[in-house]
Amino acid sequence: MIKHHPSADILIDFAAGTLPVAQAACVSAHLNYCDCCRGSTEQLQSIGGVLMEQLVPVAVSESVLDSILARLDEPVPLSFIQQRVRHRRVDLPGLLNRIINGDFSQLAWKRVTRSLSVSHLQTGDDQREFALYRIAAGGNIPNHRHGGAEMTLVLEGGFSDELGTYHPGDFVFRDASDVHAPTAIDGEECICLAVLDAPLQFTSWQYRWLNPFLQLQAG
Amino acid sequence: MMDDKKQVEQRKTSWSAPTGRRTDEWSECLVLIGKTNDRAAFTRFFRHFGPLIKAFALAGSSLSQTHADELVQEVMLKVWQKADGFNPEKAAASTWIYTIARNCRTDMFRRLQKFDTPLAADDLSIELEDEEPFAVLHTRRGAARVKALMGQLPPDQAQILAKVYMEGKSHSEAAAELDLPLGTVKSRVRLAIQKLQVQMARV
Repeated sequence: MIKHHPSADILIDFAAGTLPVAQAACVSAHLNYCDCCRGSTEQLQSIGGVLMEQLVPVAVSESVLDSILARLDEPVPLSFIQQRVRHRRVDLPGLLNRIINGDFSQLAWKRVTRSLSVSHLQTGDDQREFALYRIAAGGNIPNHRHGGAEMTLVLEGGFSDELGTYHPGDFVFRDASDVHAPTAIDGEECICLAVLDAPLQFTSWQYRWLNPFLQLQAG
Repeated sequence: MMDDKKQVEQRKTSWSAPTGRRTDEWSECLVLIGKTNDRAAFTRFFRHFGPLIKAFALAGSSLSQTHADELVQEVMLKVWQKADGFNPEKAAASTWIYTIARNCRTDMFRRLQKFDTPLAADDLSIELEDEEPFAVLHTRRGAARVKALMGQLPPDQAQILAKVYMEGKSHSEAAAELDLPLGTVKSRVRLAIQKLQVQMARV
């Protein structure tokens, strides 16, 4: 049962297609797990449908219709067919599979602390970092804040912080001012997807020296 | 067990069965296109939606007429290719075509801005499965209600929804354009969503 969801603002921006690509990918991955938000998104998209029907039509010339009719026999792209056989509620959202091309262990993991590694993935979003975080069982990410917003989706295991406990499919959004120290649940390693628009900044003196090494890896 | 299966089959093929209430003209048209490659139905669909897609392309953007026409072509070609996946019991035709148009427009903007991403908008978009759990089926009925309630929104709320959905502006861009504080924009959008009775998970 998913307990933590994106806010209305985030889902609306997603439904209207205005969310930056890295954040949209994270929300989309949450929808893969969450029946409830999938239903909400469908309703929010229907607002777009209604508004589009209310637009003042702009004339399209007949030649446009002719050129479309001439193209109808083009072969259908394979991806349209694949989309329909996509399975839900698998361990890893299909979309992530596409970016990762393999399993977690094959990724290039960079060690940050004894219990924390990170692997950066490419979404093309030049202002946001899209990365997987791996926290060893029972390990923690030292107290930190962010210069910007942080979206997190739990993929495996779970973690807890001052505000709650999160399991696979749970979606957490934190803004710049929040300081937290997530700890992985005992007995299982935790893998999360996180989208940051500013680098992590450790706040405790033992780890502050690492901050210069945590530059944002957008792209 | 067998009967259940039969019922599902029947639902899939005879979409205007008593359970299906979405028997509007455009859903009907999409079904014809999907099932029988009906070009006359496609042309009817084009004459209605083509000019709306073009209006959508030009809404709040600096897209040229040529690009707007190109978008109409791309969207309509996808309509043709994807129509057999359209299920009138699951989605309204207008919602279905809106999501295609939205995705094509996003991809076109990214292409024009030379924004390089491995993810097409379609990859991120949700498609409801044939067997969705009850929770989703239940909330989906809300789509018809949204349409019915839209006309009752106060103009200031309707205006912001149009900025966000039709012009593709984020909440903060809409705030800047309308010269309103971001908080005001967010609360108007939230009020609108409540009035449209969109069901949301409690965050």
